Amino acid sequence: MSLKMPYIRILVVGALICLLPLVLDTFYMHIAVLVLIWAFLACAWNIIGGYAGQHSLGNGLYMGIGAYTVAYLVNRFALTPWVGLLVAIALSAAAAAFIGWIVFRYALKGAYFALVTIALTEAAVYVVSNIPALGGAGGMQMEYRGNSLAYMQFAGQSGYFYMGVLMVVFILLLTQWYKSKRFFYQLIAVRENEDAAEALGVDTVKAKIKANVMSGVLCAVGGVFYAQYFLYVGPRSVFGEVVSVQILIYAIVGGLGTTWGPVVGAVLLVPLSEIARGQLGNSLPGSQLLLSGVVMVLTMLFMPFGIIGAVARLRQRWQHRSATPLVDSQGGEAS
Amino acid sequence: MLEVRGLTRRFGGLVAVNDLSFEVNEGEMIGLIGPNGSGKTTTFSMLSGALRPSAGTIAFNGERIDGLKANKVCRKGLARTFQVVQPFPDITATENVMIGAFVNVGAGRQAEAKAREMLERVGLTPKADTLAKELTLLQLKRLEIAKALATEPKLLLLDEVAAGLTSTEVDVMLQLVRQLNTEGITCIIVEHVMRFVMNLSHRCIVIDFGSQIAEGTPEEILNNPAVHAAYLGEEASIA
Repeated sequence: MSLKMPYIRILVVGALICLLPLVLDTFYMHIAVLVLIWAFLACAWNIIGGYAGQHSLGNGLYMGIGAYTVAYLVNRFALTPWVGLLVAIALSAAAAAFIGWIVFRYALKGAYFALVTIALTEAAVYVVSNIPALGGAGGMQMEYRGNSLAYMQFAGQSGYFYMGVLMVVFILLLTQWYKSKRFFYQLIAVRENEDAAEALGVDTVKAKIKANVMSGVLCAVGGVFYAQYFLYVGPRSVFGEVVSVQILIYAIVGGLGTTWGPVVGAVLLVPLSEIARGQLGNSLPGSQLLLSGVVMVLTMLFMPFGIIGAVARLRQRWQHRSATPLVDSQGGEAS
Repeated sequence: MLEVRGLTRRFGGLVAVNDLSFEVNEGEMIGLIGPNGSGKTTTFSMLSGALRPSAGTIAFNGERIDGLKANKVCRKGLARTFQVVQPFPDITATENVMIGAFVNVGAGRQAEAKAREMLERVGLTPKADTLAKELTLLQLKRLEIAKALATEPKLLLLDEVAAGLTSTEVDVMLQLVRQLNTEGITCIIVEHVMRFVMNLSHRCIVIDFGSQIAEGTPEEILNNPAVHAAYLGEEASIA
């Protein structure tokens, strides 16, 4: 297989997805945009959680920083969201670097790392809820200023849809490109065996901080897009453990540490929970969360490496099976 | 090349390594032997930066390296293998070695070429694309060496690379390590397999309860009564 193949695959799938607005109605277009937002966020989480193996339960923090930064700057100073995006990137990078530096310097791992990240994103909910300038517990509504790329606002959903496709294609290409680079090998070494990684010259603390920054910045970008799509940010809708866990469920169900896993997870689960919300939202509120939980438990029980992992395994088994006759005849000769 | 002075490590009240001093010259093969729990691996951990010494100094090529983190020590040219093999289980043998190759090489393709060269050197080419978790113990021990070699060490610490291998496998490993030494890599060998260490070492250092009890050529060590009392026992021979 050519080295270019994975890139071509991403571009082809991206181009095909662009045809969807021709066939989807408003309700399904809304779901499609949500799929793209969550797929992007899950891909971003996958860098620290999947490749570096540090299971952050608090990436909502960075998504929230992105969403709130853009909402505040647009509302308060009437800036274009593109400036807000740059500020969001800078703020989230600083936050992720600082948190990463503290947490990894003191070698917090596994459950301890997860707990600190969840505590920080929860703390952010309460901090933001108590700052009147950020809208307090009610959050902030953003004004619709018209169908314009300069305002990152679109009249219909298709504008958001195409922007989402661009973002997801971008993050997939980025992941694929990074996969052959020293940095990703170092992250995988950290995930697989930290002592051995150190002994082979990998500065594990630095690698983890870099991964946290990359993941955090991309989550903030996802948060900016989220804010622009809903034109509303609330403490619980962008910060906190519910969104943080939602992000990682898609990556885990799809396949940790794989390029496509987070996308596959989001494509399957987001529509499921949205339809559940639509159908059962009144009679059984919260049922979509329950459903996501059940799918995740089933995945972990039956497909510990996610959907991508299960597919790879099936393919392997199929190849082995087609090779079986050879083994049999050799075995026959020996006996 | 390596100068260790007064190296000491305490774990609470236990003194694992006590005031150890020795030197290693370029091109030498040094055997570091002693009974279980005498502090050999602790010494290796301090030399490689995985463990901070409680006291003492380590100088490598005239430069103090005690207190440096393991990744820095490695990048200065001092690599180690682990007694309990430490592969990256879910990636292939080549990818395992690439992690070490990236110390000196930036591009992925170059690192891969270098990794394959190292696998060739330790005789693992047929397993280059096998996941590390599917390798046998002998293969994993070779992989440990290939990983360490990929970092281009000047001094290599080999921690029990022959332990747990069959007699034939020990011979293979022996040849491999001797080959590395002729290629100019200085080695310190921690080993219980006497045939292995006595055949390879130019000089042996014997420690017991963290302190050095003897130093000399393999012949001198084998005829040293103190070493017999502490470690080798009455029946020992080169075998």
